[in-house]
Amino acid sequence: MAKKYVIIGGSAGSFQSITEILSELPKNYEQSVFLCLHRLKHVRTGFVEALSIKSKLSISEPVDKEYLRQGQVYLAPANYHMYFELGNLFSLSTETAVNHSRPSIDLSFESAAYLFKDKLTAVLLSGANRDGAYGMKMVNQYGGTTIIQDPEECQVKTMTTAAAAITKIDHILTLKEIINHLKKLQ
Amino acid sequence: MEISDEKIQELIKTLKSSADYDFGGYSSKSFKRRILKVLETQSLDIDELIKRVQYDFIFVEEIVKDITVNTTELFRNPKSWHAIKYRILPKLINNKTINIWHAGCSTGQEIYSMLILLNELKMLHKARIYASDINQDVINIAKSGRYVYRFNIEYLENFDKVIRQNPFNFEEYKNVPYAKYLTIDKIEDTITVNDFLKNKVTYIKQNLVKKEPLFKTKFDIIFCRNVLIYFKPELQSQMYGYFYENLKNSGFLVLGYHESILGAQAQKFNRKGLYYTKKLV
Repeated sequence: MAKKYVIIGGSAGSFQSITEILSELPKNYEQSVFLCLHRLKHVRTGFVEALSIKSKLSISEPVDKEYLRQGQVYLAPANYHMYFELGNLFSLSTETAVNHSRPSIDLSFESAAYLFKDKLTAVLLSGANRDGAYGMKMVNQYGGTTIIQDPEECQVKTMTTAAAAITKIDHILTLKEIINHLKKLQ
Repeated sequence: MEISDEKIQELIKTLKSSADYDFGGYSSKSFKRRILKVLETQSLDIDELIKRVQYDFIFVEEIVKDITVNTTELFRNPKSWHAIKYRILPKLINNKTINIWHAGCSTGQEIYSMLILLNELKMLHKARIYASDINQDVINIAKSGRYVYRFNIEYLENFDKVIRQNPFNFEEYKNVPYAKYLTIDKIEDTITVNDFLKNKVTYIKQNLVKKEPLFKTKFDIIFCRNVLIYFKPELQSQMYGYFYENLKNSGFLVLGYHESILGAQAQKFNRKGLYYTKKLV
């Protein structure tokens, strides 16, 4: 089966959902999963450890130009933007923050959309700003699948509704349904 | 705005042939983003840009400054500085001189972090510090040692973590006043490095990718943090070879927190956690 890629963006109110997704994905999950999460400026370390507690998959922050592998979860490092380059390489950048965010969900999503095309599934969770909206638009434009967490279920729904306002969302799902959808990508 | 990869290639070719700036080895995603930014700030489209760089060399110098990224902060990634403080510098304590090169020094925060650390370890008088960047504007800011205070509060938190605290012994606390090194003016909104550190540094404007033989001496430590991330793997490899040539045997190479030497050049260095040493030949 063709390789697939999952990218998940989240901000305020998404940490719980992310841990739940990671705890449900099976040990033999074959897709590559990328997490682009805003965090408090001062929380720069310990995030991988916190996410790893319940995850069956191994989680790491990529180093620049590292090859991405299947069945691995990657977290965009604090204070860097995370891009994807031809040849399935990560590329990191310290360019200025976009929408006050570094990592920027828009930048990671756009770059993943361009590289992975229809093999990409992009998920946007709870968040208090508009980062990710443009990224979702790009995912849609390059043929990827767009999913937002049901705004009614989000702790803060600014991010998901902003995305829905400017682009076609393929699926609006509850967290449970998102997890099932991601599992079926197997 | 969208620009095609072909147009980007055309721009790279033009910059190389008419202005001797080679961006061919730059990571494509971030390079494209920088160019989009240039087009936006200069209100040009890509064809106009390609035309203009052929005859307006002052303009080229300006956009080169916009293409390169200048993010830096005092004691960025304290864990790296712990490695420098507790693992690298103790090995150099008996040297008569310590040659240090900050390659891609940007606005100088990394240089001053190192100078402060050297002074705390009473090694400053031995240090010969060189710093280079492609961008004369950031070199001028580095020389001035003056930064915005607001939004940079982590400078002081990082200072605490690296200079005051000992991560291996929480009971140890060295109450070094900020004022020993930094003058904070909240009204002017500036944080300025004290003068005695400023004259320790020799600055050189340099386009790193040309790999020029700039120095007569070899280095004990080369810093190149968050610079090579803007390069493709091939160019990164060449740069590691260049640093290898410029390091003393067993010299130290300090990269950014999320960088590591990949590919064939890795064999020339020993990886030691957050830094590398040159292998003996």
